[in-house]
Amino acid sequence: MAMTAPFFKYGMFGDEASLVLAFLIGIGFGFFLERAGFGSARKLVSQFYLNDLAVFKVMFTAIVTAMLGVTYLGWIGWLDLSLVYLVPTYLLPQVVGGLLLGVGFVVGGYCPGTSVAATATGRVDGLVYVLGIFAGMFAFAELYPFLKGFYLSGSGEALTIPGTFGLPYGLVVFAVVLMAVGGFYGAGLLEKKFAAAGE
Amino acid sequence: MSGWFSRLTLNQKLALAAIALGAGALFAAPYPGSKVTLDARELALVVGTEADHVEAPELAAWIIENRADYRLVDLRTEKEFATYSIPTAVNIPMSVLPEAGLGRQEKLVLYSEGGIHSAQAWMLLKALGHKSVYMLKGGLDEWKDQVVFPVLADDPTPAQRARDERLKAMSAFFGGQPRSAASAAAGEPETPGIAAPLTPAVPKVAAPPSPAGGAKPAVKKKREGC
Repeated sequence: MAMTAPFFKYGMFGDEASLVLAFLIGIGFGFFLERAGFGSARKLVSQFYLNDLAVFKVMFTAIVTAMLGVTYLGWIGWLDLSLVYLVPTYLLPQVVGGLLLGVGFVVGGYCPGTSVAATATGRVDGLVYVLGIFAGMFAFAELYPFLKGFYLSGSGEALTIPGTFGLPYGLVVFAVVLMAVGGFYGAGLLEKKFAAAGE
Repeated sequence: MSGWFSRLTLNQKLALAAIALGAGALFAAPYPGSKVTLDARELALVVGTEADHVEAPELAAWIIENRADYRLVDLRTEKEFATYSIPTAVNIPMSVLPEAGLGRQEKLVLYSEGGIHSAQAWMLLKALGHKSVYMLKGGLDEWKDQVVFPVLADDPTPAQRARDERLKAMSAFFGGQPRSAASAAAGEPETPGIAAPLTPAVPKVAAPPSPAGGAKPAVKKKREGC
């Protein structure tokens, strides 16, 4: 019982300590983004030309690893999944936001996390991207009164796939694993095809 | 036998491991669900020593002192809560208690009309792993008897007089008035109606918004995330 996670929800550390931990986790995240080559806009955008799908593979690997870890930790009782924070679902605004982020990714060559990693290694394009993020945040905050209605439209509940479709949790986990493995296989085929076409 | 496995690349081995773990997850039940375990010896000890009780005057003193290190939980229905509630209480009806998202380390003081519901909720929360759960002894009945409409001594000695003064102040704070011992003994119909508490601006304890307006009783989660 004493070791049950989430540690913050069980009161094992407070707000200040959680900021320090967030900093350390952030540094780790940035380090591994850079190690995976994601500090380079060339590497990142090449997934849109389908000749290097490393981003897809790394991100999906992270999802599968985390998902399996959380599932098994919950199963053996070290993690109380009912206390893990879930982002509230606002379906339409989040779809629009996701598409907007995707357009920014294609145009700018980075996504928010990788742009910070690129800036940390001294890349100017990364720095410009980060400045763009802050300009966008500022504009959004100023326009918030007009956007609020849409921004908060939809349920606002934290919807989950097992909960919404009434599927067993384990089945969804298994399906996501199969999806990932199938995706990796397909990605390999695409890379071969388009690497040849590109040369 | 192991020939085919050693011929696989590292990525293929990892993919196989993921598939195996995913297949195992088909049988996993990662949510604790509604089954719980209890430490019977610890529970018996706590119940036996009444270490799980908060007396009504003690709670009244906490509210007057504006203490914020605990959360007062009203387990009755929204309707009953709207009619009268102890100041600073949040309404979490019994039926939604397991999903209310209360912190496991949070100090909780439960109350209901009498003592039965809060005792049952106490057991439930203990079973769910809450560390620090207390019950208002005697529930709202005793709260009204001892705090809102306390009984004063008829022929007070000096010591009783001082006590009575404190009772008067306390009952006035919570919008009630003291009763004489005679009227209490005569079983006079109690609760002539509780006035609004003296301090309308008693600050709400802890973060959760008071759902007095019939809003969802579940405690709204803090926004976190990326």
